[in-house]
Amino acid sequence: MANVEAKSEVSGSVWQILAKVGQRIEPGDTIMIIESMKMEIPVIAEQGGTIEKFLVDEKAAIAEGQTVAILSA
Amino acid sequence: MTGTPAPADGWLPEVDELRRRRRDAHALGGGQAVARHHERGRLTIRERIDGLVDKSSFNEVGTLAGQGRYEGTKLIGVTPAPYVMGLASIDGRPVAVGGEDFTIRGGVSWSGDRKKGGQGGFIEDLAASYRIPLVNLIDGSGGSVTSITKRGHSIFPGVHGFERSVELLGKVPVVSAVLGTAAGGPAGRAILSHWSVMVDGISQVFAAGPPVVERSLGQKITKEELGGPPIAVDHAGTIDNRVDSEEACFAQIRRFLSYMPSNVWEAPPALTCEDPVDRCDDDLVRIVPKDRRRPYNMRKLVEHLVDRGSVFEIQPGYGKALITALARMNGKVVGVIANNPMVYGGAMDVKAARKQIHFVEMCDCFHIPLIFLVDVPGFMVGRDAEAAATLREGMRAVYVGLQATVPTYTVVIRKCYGMAGMGTTEKNGLEFKIAWPSAEWGSLPIEGGVAAAFRRDIAAASDALAREREIEAELRAMASPFRTAEAFGVEEIIDPRETRPYLCRFIDAAQARLLTTLGPKAKYGVRP
Repeated sequence: MANVEAKSEVSGSVWQILAKVGQRIEPGDTIMIIESMKMEIPVIAEQGGTIEKFLVDEKAAIAEGQTVAILSA
Repeated sequence: MTGTPAPADGWLPEVDELRRRRRDAHALGGGQAVARHHERGRLTIRERIDGLVDKSSFNEVGTLAGQGRYEGTKLIGVTPAPYVMGLASIDGRPVAVGGEDFTIRGGVSWSGDRKKGGQGGFIEDLAASYRIPLVNLIDGSGGSVTSITKRGHSIFPGVHGFERSVELLGKVPVVSAVLGTAAGGPAGRAILSHWSVMVDGISQVFAAGPPVVERSLGQKITKEELGGPPIAVDHAGTIDNRVDSEEACFAQIRRFLSYMPSNVWEAPPALTCEDPVDRCDDDLVRIVPKDRRRPYNMRKLVEHLVDRGSVFEIQPGYGKALITALARMNGKVVGVIANNPMVYGGAMDVKAARKQIHFVEMCDCFHIPLIFLVDVPGFMVGRDAEAAATLREGMRAVYVGLQATVPTYTVVIRKCYGMAGMGTTEKNGLEFKIAWPSAEWGSLPIEGGVAAAFRRDIAAASDALAREREIEAELRAMASPFRTAEAFGVEEIIDPRETRPYLCRFIDAAQARLLTTLGPKAKYGVRP
């Protein structure tokens, strides 16, 4: 089982975490929403897998390219 | 008869020698060197040229160049010059193509009377003289200090310079593929291109490699960490596109050239369009969410507008707040520049600005009309953006846009604000601005400007936040695009579904005007 990192393409703050730990995610699914430049920018799974853990909480400030969740593929 | 060949033989002995010398040239660095090269997962330069060009179209030049080995006056063999080049065809059009032969001294340059390729050399002269595209297949590491021992002196930088490479950028399409580890001069040449590509797993590019970095900075770093595609393409934008195989690389080179004229004196090649010009996709009327905070898929929007299957994205992994793509509308080549609301709401950051600058200059150079699909809230804001010189690079993008003279179509999809928005219009021509009903524009977005412009009014209110929202609502009502259209401040508002036929009609009409302005474009002034 390989781990897959889900990363945010933008800096901003975590507005809403949509997925749950243990949830199966397909490529293209939205994991969480980042608020950036007054927009709701989705963090979209590039690869499928099961959510192992989140590395950020809602309202947390995040940097561009930061890993926000770990999935097991 | 003895002494002289029988007359019936004519020049056959010399032709036999020619055949033998050609055989040596085709053997490249020899069986072992070629086998080692293949083991590294790389094709030889001859396999690369065969894979790239039309079948049997390669006419080699300089086949015999190399170092002959003799016993007395008898030829033992020839070590070929480590560069293979000549005239070939891609999709039936002539191209100059050449590349280093890594199997001979790692593709390091060879000192003959005339250079075959690299900085200057016959291949660049061929592209310039015949006004045909140049394809560089780069697999060499550039200069070496060992050249001092050969010559007895050190070479002044630029003796074999980039002047021809620079000249070509204003005259013919130049494509570079990095197909190995490129450092120094070959790496520089890869940048002096209209479009460049590298291959995952076999390509790295940098000014100087790991040994020099370790000696200079004490940093231990692998060549992949220093200049592999994740750094060179996705992070830095040093090289434009990345692919997963050499075959995919050749396909992308052919694809890129299919949009290019052979030179700036020709119009871009038009094709017969099989996709109906009057195709009006219903999805377009729903693609932009009513909620202004919600982004949407701009790539899908582009696909709906242009000829089906015609999108070729340039720099898809770099500067993701902006999408740049060559495409076709009714068979005519266009350059599409679209803000990507999925990344920073489409705000222009320093990477997006650099991407836009190169793409606009390239399209302007080759007389390719531009379509801006605008959804830009302005320049990227914040400390990181300021530290990266977003304002300066953004204004360079505006400056380059204002110098362009190619027909430009500004289609405002949603936001068009500030200086970044200003850079999406054609100030040297028709200044044709078309908007969707979802469009909005101004000096800056209302929600960002109200707090500053109405500070006293808001501070005096018993409920400051409610007053701020109230003012925003009042201003937003007046910001309807239809009101600007009443003032003819925007030339047309269209049903999103009508965008394709509307643009095709005007792009078709501009073709005759394009033919009146072919040729090189002089650029004046100092880029800020």
